[in-house]
Amino acid sequence: MAGLQNSGIFAPRVIEEIQAKAESGLYSIRGFGTLRERRWATFDDLTFLPCSLTRIPLEGYREKCSTKTVLGTRFAKKPIELDIPVMITGMSWGALSLNAKVALAKGAAAAGSSNTTGDGGMLQAERENSRTLIYEVLPSRYGINIHHMRMADAIELTIGQGAKPGTGGLLLGSKISDRIAEQRDLPIGVDQRSPARHPDFLGPDDMIIKVEELREATDWQVPIFIKLGASRVYDDVKLAAKAGADVIVVDGMEGGTGASPAIFQEHTGLPTLAAVCEARCALQDIGLYGEVQLIIAGGIRDGVDAAKAIALGADACYIGTASLIALNCNKPIYEDDYRAIGAAPHACHHCHTGRCPVGITTQDPELMKRLDIEQGAERVRNLLQVMTLEIQMLARSCGKSDVHHLEPEDMAALTLEASAICGIPLVGTRKVFGR
Amino acid sequence: MCGIVGYLDKIGAEGGNVGSVLLGMLNALACRGPDSAGVALFGARQSGQLVAQVKLGDNGNGTARAGEVKIIAEKFGGREFTQTGAYLRFVFGETDDLKPFITGVEGAGRDVEVVSVGRRLEIVKQVGSPSRLEQTFGISEFHGKHGIGHTRLSTESVVDLSHSQPFWGHGYPDLAIVHNGHITNYHQLRRQYEQRGVRFYTENDSEVVAIFLADKLRQGADVHAAMESMIGELDGSFSCLVATDSAIGFVKDTFSFKPLVFAETDDFVAVATEEIAIRGAIKGDFTVREAQAKEVQVWRR
Amino acid sequence: MAEIDAAGHTTREINAAIRQCIADSCKEITVRNPGARHNLAVAILDDAQIRLAGSAGYYCGGLIDGASIEIEGSAGWGVAESMLSGTVRVHGSAGSGAAAAIRGGTVVIHGDAAARLGVSMKGGRVIVAGNCGYMAGFMAQKGTLVVCGDVGEAFADSMYATVCYVGGKIANLGTDAVIAPMDPGEAERLDETLSAYLPAPLRDAKPAAADFKKVVAGRKLWNFDKREWRIWQEAL
Repeated sequence: MAGLQNSGIFAPRVIEEIQAKAESGLYSIRGFGTLRERRWATFDDLTFLPCSLTRIPLEGYREKCSTKTVLGTRFAKKPIELDIPVMITGMSWGALSLNAKVALAKGAAAAGSSNTTGDGGMLQAERENSRTLIYEVLPSRYGINIHHMRMADAIELTIGQGAKPGTGGLLLGSKISDRIAEQRDLPIGVDQRSPARHPDFLGPDDMIIKVEELREATDWQVPIFIKLGASRVYDDVKLAAKAGADVIVVDGMEGGTGASPAIFQEHTGLPTLAAVCEARCALQDIGLYGEVQLIIAGGIRDGVDAAKAIALGADACYIGTASLIALNCNKPIYEDDYRAIGAAPHACHHCHTGRCPVGITTQDPELMKRLDIEQGAERVRNLLQVMTLEIQMLARSCGKSDVHHLEPEDMAALTLEASAICGIPLVGTRKVFGR
Repeated sequence: MCGIVGYLDKIGAEGGNVGSVLLGMLNALACRGPDSAGVALFGARQSGQLVAQVKLGDNGNGTARAGEVKIIAEKFGGREFTQTGAYLRFVFGETDDLKPFITGVEGAGRDVEVVSVGRRLEIVKQVGSPSRLEQTFGISEFHGKHGIGHTRLSTESVVDLSHSQPFWGHGYPDLAIVHNGHITNYHQLRRQYEQRGVRFYTENDSEVVAIFLADKLRQGADVHAAMESMIGELDGSFSCLVATDSAIGFVKDTFSFKPLVFAETDDFVAVATEEIAIRGAIKGDFTVREAQAKEVQVWRR
Repeated sequence: MAEIDAAGHTTREINAAIRQCIADSCKEITVRNPGARHNLAVAILDDAQIRLAGSAGYYCGGLIDGASIEIEGSAGWGVAESMLSGTVRVHGSAGSGAAAAIRGGTVVIHGDAAARLGVSMKGGRVIVAGNCGYMAGFMAQKGTLVVCGDVGEAFADSMYATVCYVGGKIANLGTDAVIAPMDPGEAERLDETLSAYLPAPLRDAKPAAADFKKVVAGRKLWNFDKREWRIWQEAL
């Protein structure tokens, strides 16, 4: 007798989802990001071509490979200067616990990098513990405060994020504690839905005026970033550049989230690989490549992903999920507590429940205690440093004394799709496909 | 995404200064849309005649093409030819059916386009700023009582001559529109019109607004009713100005997504994306207010 | 008292001049010929009094904390957006998103307001003597919203704890917006507020406080409940 067979279309997971919808009457909301098995071109579809006979690799240590990164040179009087090209992205206090936010700030500072606020505004502890702090202005405007904006080193005007472009965020009632509610001016315990749009501008032509307002409010001192969820990247990047952004952030579909509808995480947005290529093309086509800096985000896991993104045109990368994993997200500890929320280590995307077993995406003080700030900060610093070493190793092997000298020509495509998307020759053919 | 402007001189004789007012308004908005600029101006009525503006091609020197178009146009009574930049302007015999004229003239070349036809209407538009438009066409010298204009920041479609605004309600004399916003059911509507034999000249969603209104007017609707029907049938964002040989008006979408302000006195009506455009071009003590969601207003000369 | 002539100057130059006046301890400033420029008087953190003898463009008085701004003409989009404290008064009409995301302070509009009045407001109070347009009070969280005239469609849609008062007609209520009776003393407090912020002739032309309708959130959108599917269908 043949073995039992699952339907490919009505797979077990799909059957469970349909039955859950029939039970609850609501679509699935969860955290983390896309869970789909990788079937589209990602950074894994590229390989580096280190020096061999035609180029000369650099030795480590003595033959320096610079990682210094400057962002915001277009208009700002005070661009930000980082020691490394990897930064911590904005994640809300609300989605994250206070200990997590402080650990990220300290870890980034120790590594010579930056931290970003998030939905809900700036925390004092965040400013105190960050070396460089970027202030996010989001559609919700929770906690918006001109004094905090003036304490920041850059302002990031967020139009959307990669995990859920075109829609607002969610923070479910169990995570709206007294303190969060106060900071956000909300009643305690509501299932908060953030707006999808900014309240006071609705198009790129109005956004030009908004960017000017942010510059006036900060006396033209600090860089203005515009952050986009990767969708119509080519058009959006051109518009953001025309609107006067110093830095454009493009966040791809593999990006993370604390809580949003599952269908958005799975079925919206461009993958990060495609997004970085579109973004660079857009800047080149309007003659601003090099003048406007590009930060890429969305599922960056290690220095290899970052190096490939930099080679394709990014000036820096944001990490979000990776930094939380460094803080023990999905670590095999407190395993009973994973089971209690219906998850398991390495298979937990239950940020939305507020019962994070390792104290990251929770407002429960007892759970939060499991995240020791100093240990967490050290782990984040370690991750950032290792990522930097990985980027440097790859850059040196390609003969670069500066990681920012990595180019698309330092790589080959392992698949047809990657060749077409990136404009890079397919291995074994010396040809670019699809163009 | 762009800036739109409109002006109606209520009291002046035919020789009003609509050109210089519109230019002043466009200049004040130029930071919104440096990619292209255009105006639809309504001058003195040509009795028994129509005036045509024809684009000779997309790549610069159209003088040779002008000769070919001239020969064709003369068959329709075309005369008083003047070439400015990529445009050929002339008058020709009034007719109820523009199809043979359009087909004939556009047959001169793949990128020849009849940009506007009307008893009063003339559309000129090009890549570059309002100042450049003035340099090429001398808009400020144009005399007439009403007109609309546009300056553009390109979003999803290409920056070139054909993708600028205003759009003529192609085939319907004296109908012109300018649109700020994005029609999100454009492709669906376009396919419906193409199925009926309508030709589109650009990939710009604003073009469908002109085609939609021309279609409604041909079916007998008046301008006000045609503009009202936009609210239910066009999806997305729009603040639109519409002009005919005797009227000018605006319509705003259901959700009031795009700004539009206007002022009306005994002497004039001025409409624009931002008040700064009105104040930049017209001095005096008058109030300006923003149009509301789903608001339609039409003023007649 | 200082006078700044905005004619021929950029927003950046005008704002720099305003800040210089304040730095020189001159806190009463009149700006002539503002010409509806954008971003005038943003982020003023002092208790300065700034008068615009004309119209403002977008975001006038945005991000202020403690200043008093008076606009004699009309205001564009987002007047007083994200204000922490202070007062912004518009003699004419205001564009869309007036008082967007304010966290405190008072916005007074003598004329009409356009769409999305008080959108996402997180505190403070908004008073409109005239009418307002579509979706006023959308996702409003705290504070008070008063419109003496008529309000447009989808009024007070998806609100949290903001309390609204309407003197005229309501075109229709937004999702989860309900008309509620006033508490004892509430009409008197509303009357005091109107008298405090509207000039007497304007106030007297408006309805008596007791005749205003109070509109608050029905709270059915505060936590998801599958039995309230119809209401969630509108909101999600």
